[in-house]
Amino acid sequence: MAVNWAQVFFNSAITGSLYLIGAVGLTLTYGLSGFPNFAHAEFITLGAYIAYSVAAQFGLGPPLALVVAFLCTGIVGFLCYRGVFQVLAKRGATIIHLMVASIALGFVLRYSIGAAWGWEPLYFATVWPTSSLWSRHDIGSIAVTNLWLWLIFAAVALAVTMHFVLVKTKIGKAIRATSSNPELALASGINIQRVIWITWFLGAGLAAIAGVFRGADTRIWPMTGWDMILPMFAVVILGGIGNFYGAIAAAFIVGLAENVGVVALTAMGLSSTYRIGIAFLILIITLILKPQGLAMLFRRG
Amino acid sequence: MDPLLYVLDLIVFIGIFGILALSLNLEFGFAGLANFGKVAFFLIGAYTYALLSQIGVPFYLCLIAGATLSAAFGLLISLPALRLRADYLAIAILTFGEILRLIVKSESWIAGGDWGISVSPAIAISGGSHRVDVLVNIGLVYFCLLICFVIAQLLANSPYGRVMRAVREDEVAAEALGKNRARYKAQVLMLGSAMAGIAGGLYAQYLQYVLPGMFMPMVTFTVWIMVLLGGPANNWGAVLGAVLVTLFDRGTNIAKDYLTLPIDPSNLQYILFGALIILVLLYRPQGLLKESPIKTKALESVKRERSVVKGKGS
Repeated sequence: MAVNWAQVFFNSAITGSLYLIGAVGLTLTYGLSGFPNFAHAEFITLGAYIAYSVAAQFGLGPPLALVVAFLCTGIVGFLCYRGVFQVLAKRGATIIHLMVASIALGFVLRYSIGAAWGWEPLYFATVWPTSSLWSRHDIGSIAVTNLWLWLIFAAVALAVTMHFVLVKTKIGKAIRATSSNPELALASGINIQRVIWITWFLGAGLAAIAGVFRGADTRIWPMTGWDMILPMFAVVILGGIGNFYGAIAAAFIVGLAENVGVVALTAMGLSSTYRIGIAFLILIITLILKPQGLAMLFRRG
Repeated sequence: MDPLLYVLDLIVFIGIFGILALSLNLEFGFAGLANFGKVAFFLIGAYTYALLSQIGVPFYLCLIAGATLSAAFGLLISLPALRLRADYLAIAILTFGEILRLIVKSESWIAGGDWGISVSPAIAISGGSHRVDVLVNIGLVYFCLLICFVIAQLLANSPYGRVMRAVREDEVAAEALGKNRARYKAQVLMLGSAMAGIAGGLYAQYLQYVLPGMFMPMVTFTVWIMVLLGGPANNWGAVLGAVLVTLFDRGTNIAKDYLTLPIDPSNLQYILFGALIILVLLYRPQGLLKESPIKTKALESVKRERSVVKGKGS
C-alpha cells in the first residue's frame, strides 16, 4: 500500500500542535514548582468537558466555549496548586510526595468528572452540528478539516504570543527568572509566589484548550487527558524541563515520530495502539543520551 | 455468597497486597525510589505464571520464573533512569507499565488479548470444596508473605539497609562514603520487582485467570496508599497498610450494595482513595507507624553506657 507522505507530515503537524498546547503548561509548572504534575492530564479532560457543557447549556459557539474553558480550568489549576501543592511544599514534602499527591489529585478529578458527566463518550459534533469546523477540504492529496487548520493556527499563535510574553513583558521575565534561580529572583524583588500562581493558572488554561481540540477531533471521556499525558511527558523531557522553546521543537519531533512510527508499525503488521511506545522510546533515548533534553540548544530560553 | 468464603477471600487478597506493599516499601520507604509502575512487575509475574502453568510447569517453578523475569525487567528499566532524579524514574517506569499492558492487550497470541486466559490452580486437591481451595491458597500466599517479610526485615536492620537509608537521605553523602548509589538502587529495584512478580503469580493462580484489565495503573496507587498510610520504611506499617486499605476497599464494595448514593459508588471509591492519599500526605506524612529505628549492637551498647552514666550522675 502506497503511503500518502504529505498526509503523514500534515498529521504530524496536527499532533505536534496538540502536544505543544498541552505541554506548555506542564513544562512551565514542572520547571517552576520542581515536580511533574500528573494531574495536568485531568486539566485537559476538565477543559473539554467544561467547553462541552457551556456549549450544550447556553449554546455558546466554539470561540466563547474555549474562553470559558480556559478561565474555569485555569482557576481549578490555581486552586489545586494553592490548596494542595503549595501547602505540601511548605511542609517540606519531597518531590516523591508531590508526585504522589498529583496522581492522587488526578484520581479525585478524573472520577469526579466521571461522576458528573458519566463514562459514556461525548462528541462536540452533537453541540455544534452546523459549525464550519467539521467541513473537509482536499488540498492536493491532503485531507484537511477546518478544525485541524484552527489547531495549527492556535499552536502557532501560542508560540508567538508566549515568545513575546516571555521576552518582552514583566511577568514573562519574572517567570524565566524564577525558573532559572528562585532565590535570586526573590532577592531582585520578584514576588515568586505570584509568578508560580499565574503560571499554574496559565498552564491549566492552556491544557483546557488542548482538551477542547482533542475532544473535538476525537471524543471526550474521562480518560481524554490520561491518553495524552505520557507522550506529553516525552515532549517535556525531550525539550528540557521548564524550557518553552525546547518544548516547541520537542512537540513537533514527537508528533513526527509518532505519525511516521504508525506508518512503520502498520507496515510491520503491528497494532497502531503502540504509538505510545514511540513516545516511550524517545523518553528513554533522551534519558540515556541527554537527560537535560534539547535545552542546551536554547540556552537563552 | 458464603460469608466464610468471603472472609477467606479477603485474607488471600490481604496477603497478596501485603507482598506488594512490602516490595514498594523496600523501594520507596527504605531506598527512596519512586516506583510508579509497580503494576508492570505484578503483570510480568502473573502472565509468566499463567503461560508457564499452561504448558505444565509445576507451580513453584512458575513463581520463581515470574520473580526472575520481573527482576530482570526491574534491572533493565533501572539502567537509564537510576542515575537521574526521582521524577525521571517515576515517569519512565509508569510509561513502561502502560506499554506492557497495551502489549498483552493487543497481542492476542501471547495470552488471549482482551479476553485473557485461564490459569490452573497451584495445588489442586481432588474432591476438595471451594473452601479447601481457598485455604490452600491462604497457606501458599502467607508462606510467601512470611518469606518476603523476613527478607525485608533482615535487610532493614543490616548494614545494607543502612546504606539504603543513607542513599535515600543524601545520595551525594552516601556516594562520598564510597557507596555506589546506582548499584544499590538497581539491586533494590530488582529485589522489589522479584517480590512483585511472586505476588503477580499468586494473584493469577488464585483468581485462575489473567486479563489486561486487572493491571490498570490504579493497582500501583493502591499499593502506594498502603505504604504511605501504614508508614514508609516500616515493614509492619506496610502490612498494616495492606490490611487497612483492603478492608476499606471491600467495605466500600459492600456498602455500595446497601446504600443508595447520589453518585455512582465506583467513582466515589476512587475519589475517596485519592482524597485519602492527599490527607495522609498533608497531615501524617510519616504514616500510622513511624519509621523503624536502626538497631545495631554498637548503638545498643552506647545506649547501655549512657544509662549507666546517667545512673551514676544522679
